[in-house]
Order: sequence, then structure tokens, then C-alpha cells
Amino acid sequence: MKDIFINEWRGFVRNQLFFVLSILFTGSLAVVTYLGIVQNKTQIEIHHDAHRHIRSQWDEMKPTNPHGAAHFGSYAFKPNTVLNGIDEGITSVTGNVLRLEGHAQNDLVYSEASQSLLISRFGKLKPALLFQFIIPLFLIFLAFNTYTKERESGRIKLLLSQGTSLQKILLAKILSVWMIGVLLLLFAIFIQIIFNNQGINAETFLRLFTLSLSYALYYLIITTLTVLLSVQFSSSSASLTFAIAVWVLWTIFLPKIAGNAVEQLSPLPTRVEFKKAMETDRSKGIDGHNPSGDREKELEKTTLAKYKVDSLSQLPINFDGLVMQADEEYGNSVWDKHFGQLYEQLLSQKRNYQLSGIINPFASLQNLSMGSAGTDMIHHLDFLKQAELYRRAFIKILNDKHAYGGSKTGEWEWKADNDFFRSVKDFEYSTTSFANLWTKYLIDIVVLAFWVILLFTLILYSSKRVSLL
Amino acid sequence: MSLINIFLYEFNHFRKSKAKVIAYLLFLSTCVYALYNGFSLQNKQKTTIDGIEQKIQEGITKVLGWFDEGKTGPEDRPWIDVSTPFWALWHTPTYTIKTPSPLLPLGIGQSEQYGFYKQVSNWSTTYDSDMVEELANPERLINGNIDFAFIILFLMPLLLIVLTYNINGLEKDQGFDRLISIQVGNIQHWLLARSGFYFLLILVTNAVLILTIGILNNAFADFGSEMISLLIVATLYLCFWTIISYFIILKSSGISSQAFTMISVWLLLCVVIPGAVHQYASIRYPANLMTDFLEVNRKEAYSVFEVSSDTLAQKLKAIYPQLANTKNGQDSISDESIVQHTVSALINEMNKFAVYNIESLNDEKNQLIATSYWFNPVSFFQNKWNNITATDYNAYKKYRSEVQKDIDNKMELLVIECWDKKKVDKITYQTYLERLK
Repeated sequence: MKDIFINEWRGFVRNQLFFVLSILFTGSLAVVTYLGIVQNKTQIEIHHDAHRHIRSQWDEMKPTNPHGAAHFGSYAFKPNTVLNGIDEGITSVTGNVLRLEGHAQNDLVYSEASQSLLISRFGKLKPALLFQFIIPLFLIFLAFNTYTKERESGRIKLLLSQGTSLQKILLAKILSVWMIGVLLLLFAIFIQIIFNNQGINAETFLRLFTLSLSYALYYLIITTLTVLLSVQFSSSSASLTFAIAVWVLWTIFLPKIAGNAVEQLSPLPTRVEFKKAMETDRSKGIDGHNPSGDREKELEKTTLAKYKVDSLSQLPINFDGLVMQADEEYGNSVWDKHFGQLYEQLLSQKRNYQLSGIINPFASLQNLSMGSAGTDMIHHLDFLKQAELYRRAFIKILNDKHAYGGSKTGEWEWKADNDFFRSVKDFEYSTTSFANLWTKYLIDIVVLAFWVILLFTLILYSSKRVSLL
Repeated sequence: MSLINIFLYEFNHFRKSKAKVIAYLLFLSTCVYALYNGFSLQNKQKTTIDGIEQKIQEGITKVLGWFDEGKTGPEDRPWIDVSTPFWALWHTPTYTIKTPSPLLPLGIGQSEQYGFYKQVSNWSTTYDSDMVEELANPERLINGNIDFAFIILFLMPLLLIVLTYNINGLEKDQGFDRLISIQVGNIQHWLLARSGFYFLLILVTNAVLILTIGILNNAFADFGSEMISLLIVATLYLCFWTIISYFIILKSSGISSQAFTMISVWLLLCVVIPGAVHQYASIRYPANLMTDFLEVNRKEAYSVFEVSSDTLAQKLKAIYPQLANTKNGQDSISDESIVQHTVSALINEMNKFAVYNIESLNDEKNQLIATSYWFNPVSFFQNKWNNITATDYNAYKKYRSEVQKDIDNKMELLVIECWDKKKVDKITYQTYLERLK
């Protein structure tokens, strides 16, 4: 088997077209990976500048009423991950800026896709585009006649007569073609590490390992399938045509069909419906029996009892701060209910899409690629949740200052000093460790492994049944 | 053998080739599915718009009811007084809506990236967070929707490849290409007739589908020229791919190389070149985090409130010179509450300036994209198509300018009416409704 493998590689190296294509691919990969890093670094720098700028405005705040400061608010900018240069996933279609303020939970706005005319329906030319679209086609091109060529030339009989089994021949051929894909993949990863070594840590290596593993498995699927077709079809052209048809179906057609289908299976509410439901819960109470006015009266009663006074003016604290915080907390529970349901629905759509990997392994690859690059929906929702948690803590600090900072009820002109505002911690998003998220991608890995096993079983089965005459 | 005979033979060949017939039928069913997607989005938008219009009516009825009952606002909010222009205009529902074009089922374009309705308030801008797209699964968005434009731009060339990949290649593989040369005389004519059959087949399919949607959606009356433009774009695009496939067929050395060349050219034109341009444009013009706009919207807007009323009044007069003739404008000391109520007009001017810069930067990026069209034809056809179906960036830019126009109208009315210290009654309120309709 080792000899066949080496022989295959000798054949590749001697083939001029292969040589030219390999140089072209390697060069393209190096350039594309490098440009991906450049683009990502530029975006990260812009993000840092924006973040610093907004924070400096906060730090320079003159003495202000804390509630005024809650309205002044802050902004969270969705950061690019280090591996965004490889696969940007959903980054370009989601917004980048989130306004954090009192009373309101806003949407992420200003997506890159909304800032210009449409250019590419398949995304930017980043390594992921080459890994997902072009390298598989290259592997198909290398593998489509790997068996038929041997059969047509009669060399297969010669090989068999030397005592090698057909299974070993096919396996060696699969591995030799697969190795080319893996080498190209590793080359791109190497470039990534060389030119993007800042911020590379164990977490990044874990992500790069998962990314490489998923592509390696997918390339094994593509190569095995093409060789299988080569064994099954009598002519090279038929096997090539069929392999290309599968490639088109998997990469172009099915992802869109599956994406649409999962959204139609559990349709999301319109923004108007969603907003209306939240407003209703906000004003009437989630259970419909606890209107906001009643909640305020109840809080007043409890607070007066707690401080053992008869009126709000006798309170040693500012009751307005308590009301606003109570309202925030109520609003948070409404947010948790509605956004919780929305996020759960989005994740359920994702799980359904992941299942489409059973008929289309490309879907599993896409999920794993985006997931390991930290640019998929799971990471996106994680950012939104962390930003919302920060907003809650941020507003609570301001409301507490309003309530307990020294002012009395109704003193809206009371101001907190600059030291207080500077002491409020800034929002720092930390990407959740991939080790904590890997279970979410388990299904994709299992599906890819399932395809590998299935195709190897089929190829072993075919090798026993195939006629050599 | 005459051209017409070759053409008819090709029809027979197509009819008897199961793979080609299946590919064609698959294409047709995908077209139907894509049109269904387009109609679904159109209907969803229409339903949302109907809901908004109902909400507007409810709001109007509520305020008219206050006037009829001699109330100035809701009982639990005593500070609201709709007899003043400020509160009357606050309660004048103003929405700017982008009604979906009847051609939307033929191309969704970028419509899923933008909002299509906007409630205009005193503090509105064209980059408010309520201008964002509808709730959607972002992973579905990156894969994109299967809409009719996608079918024409990306799947139609693939269908052409499936239908023509073995023309000439098969004959070369089987070694009777020379026989054909002898039979037909000119091999180029033979290839032209064979390719021509598939060109016509796809052309007729496209035309029938586009015209059917036009009829179903009553688009001919108001969008006749756009329908014709779509037909022309689809035909030119088909010609472009037919010419490419013809030359690949002509230079063919066998089915395998022919199929591989065709799919490689498709990949290059549809995926690699647009992707490279996209990446280059992103490096030249990275995603804008709109800090200039945020600056105006937050810090500068807040700093306005620190300025004295007299200064603000002077600034307002500079924007609206007619204020000099209003009651407040003629008073020696400006009414502070009136100035505070109309300060949003100043912030609107500041926002407009910030937005202008953002739009200019976006236009520069679009200019860069347009300069790539000579080597990036697929993006050219794609944006041309989206432009006709009013679903591209420019259509939404136009919509944003309409939103801005409505904000300006509302601000002008607010400032003039407040400064003139108008007393609002039911008839005046109805005039507001009419003016801000």
C-alpha cells in the first residue's frame, strides 16, 4: 500500500498540469490567507479605535445625573475573532454596533452587508472559500479517473497479480489524493500562524485543530466518493460528471434549500409582532395581572415599610432610583422571556440545519468551520448575551447611584462626579472557550465521521464486487 | 446537413437524454420554488405593512377621540397636552414605508439586509436601530435565499453546463469527430446549431417565467419597462454564458476536460472573482462602525442641551429663517420651553451631516465595486438585476432619503407650529395628519 501511495505521488509530481495547478493553489492560498489576516487586523484595529473613542467619551463625562448617564449609555462593538481571517461566517450580515442604555435593549446594527452593493453571493475570497469550494473540486479532478485510468490501461491487473488487494489499491489512491488536500490545508494554517501569531494561544490551537480536522474529514469524504464513483462508472467522464453534480448539489444547492426549509419549519416572528409582544408584557406584566402601575405602588409600600417612614420625602434614599431599577429588572425578565424564546428558536433552526448534514456533509463542514473560527450564530448569540448582561450590570450601577448616592426622591438635578463614571467598568467581550462549546458541534463531527465510515464501507463493498474484466 | 436539421436532432438528443431532461426539470422546479420564496417575502412585507397601517389608524382614532371628548391626552399621563403643537405632532403617527416592488418575486436582492418601514419621531435618523432588517437566521442569510435572481445568475449557467458539457467532447472521446466534419462541412456551424438549441430552450424558459410573474403580479401596467429590462438582462446574461460555453466546446479535447473547464470557469466568474473583489473592497473600505454618527447621536446631541436657549434659538433661526416671523421669533426673549421642544430640529441637522459622510463613504465603496464590473461581469448583472427589482443598496438609499425627507417635514412643521404658539384643535390635528401622511 505504501508503494502504491508513493507511486501515486510520483505520478502527480511528474504530471505538468498537476504541478502548475499545485503551484497556483499554493500561491493563491498564501495570498488569500495573508490578505484575510490583513483585512481582519484592519477591522480589529478599527474596532479597538471605536471602543477606545466611546470609552473616552464616558471617562470624560462631566458631573451628570446617573439616570442621564444611563440615557447617554454606551456602545458595544462586536469584535472580530483572530480566526475571522480564515472564515468570517456570519460576521458580514450581522450588525457590529450595539447601543447599551437604560430602559431599552437594542438591536445590533450597521452590518457590513448593508453598507454597499452586493458583490459576492458566496462571501469574500478568504481561505474558507478556497477550502470549501475550490480544493474539493481540485480533489475531484485528481481522483475522478484514478481507478478507471488503471482499468482502461490494464495496469490494475498487473498490480493485482503482484499480490496487492484491490482494497489496498483503492485505499492508497484515496489517501494519496486526500493528502494533497490536507497539505494545502496545513499550508494555509501555517501561513495563518506565521502572519497572525499575536493572540494565538491554546484556545486558538484547539480551534485550528477542530477546523483542520473538519476539513480533513470532508476532503476524505470528497476523495472517497470520487474514487467510489470512479469504481462504479465504466468511463472517466461519467464519474467526473457525477462527482461534479454532487459537488454542485452539496455546495451550491442544498445549503440554501436546507437553510430556507429550517426557517420555514419554525418561522420567526416579524419584528413588529415581536416588539408588540414585548411591549404588551412590559406594560401589563408577563402574566397579564401585574400592570406596571401596580408594581410601582407595591414597591413604594415595601420601601416605606423597610425604612419605617410614611412618605417618600422622608426616605433617606432616592426612591426614583429604586423604581427605575425595579422597572429595569422587570424589563429584563421580559427580555429573558422573549429573546430567550427567539434565541432558542434560532438554535433549534441551527440544530435542524446541522441534521441536514446527513444528506449534505458540506453543511456539517460549514458549521464546524464557522464554529471553530468563532464566527457562527452560537458565538454571535453569546456576544449578545454577554453584552446584555453587561448592560444590566451597567444600568444597575447607575440606578443604585441614583438611589443610594446621596440624593433624595425627586432630586433629578443631583449629579454624580466624574470619578464615579470612570469607576464603572468597561465592556470587554471574551469569546467563550471552545472547550465549553464543543458539544454544540458534536453532531457535525459525528455526521462527517458517519459519511467517512459509510463511504469506506461502500468502497470496500464495491472492491469485492467490481468486475476487473 | 442543414442547421435546422442539426437543431432538430439536438431536440431529439435532449428528449432522449434522461440526465439532461431531469436537470432541466430540476431547474424548472427550482425556479418555481424560488418564485414561491419571492412571493412569500413579498406577502410577509405586505402583511407587516397592513399591520402598521392598522396601528396608525388606531393611533389616529385614539387622538381624535381625545379631541372629541375635550381631553388633552391620556388620563394617566397628565403632562401630555395635544392642544400644543409639540404633543399633537408627537401623537401624529408618521411612517415611511418602502412598499415591495411587484418585481420582488423575481429578485429578493439585498432586501433582507434592510428594514422597510420606519416610524418617524422628533429624534429619528436614517440610521436608527429600528431601520434594521427583519428578524432572520443569520446563518440562513449568509447562505442566501434561493430567489429567481440567484437561479438566473448562478444556476442558469450551471444548467447550460449540464446541457452542453458533452457536445463535441463525446464525439472526440469516441473518435468520430472527423466523421462529423465530413458530414456537416463546417464544425463551427454544427456546434452553433447544437448550442443554439439550448440557448433557445433556456431563453424561452426565462421569458415565460418572467412574463408569468409579471402577469400574476400585475406588473405590466406600472413596471412594463422594468419587465422588458429584466428580459433584456436575462437574455444578455444567457448570451454571455452561451458564448463562453461555445468557445469551451469548440476547443474541447474530450468530455472530462470540457466539463472541468466549464465548471472551473463558472467557479472563477461566480465565486472567485466576486469573492476577490469583495475582499479587496473590504480591505479598502472596512466595515464602518459609524463612530462619527454615534458621536453626533450621543455626545454632540447631549452637548446641545448645555447651550443657552438664546444660542439655540439663534441656531434654529439660521436653519429656518421664517421663524423670525413667528410669535416666539418676534418676542424679545425667546420662550425656553419652546426652544427645548424644538431642539430636535438642530440635532436632525447635525445627524444629516454625519449621515451624508457615511453615505459618501458607502458611495465610494460602490464606485470601487462598479469599477470591477469589466472583469467581474456576474456582479454587474447581479446588481443590474437587483436595481431593476428595486432591491439593491441604491433602492434602500433612496428609501433612506425619503425617510430623511419625512423627518425634515416633521421637524419644519414642529418648529414653525411651536414657535407660532399654535393652539391645536381637531381640524389642525387633521391638517398635521394630511401634511405628514
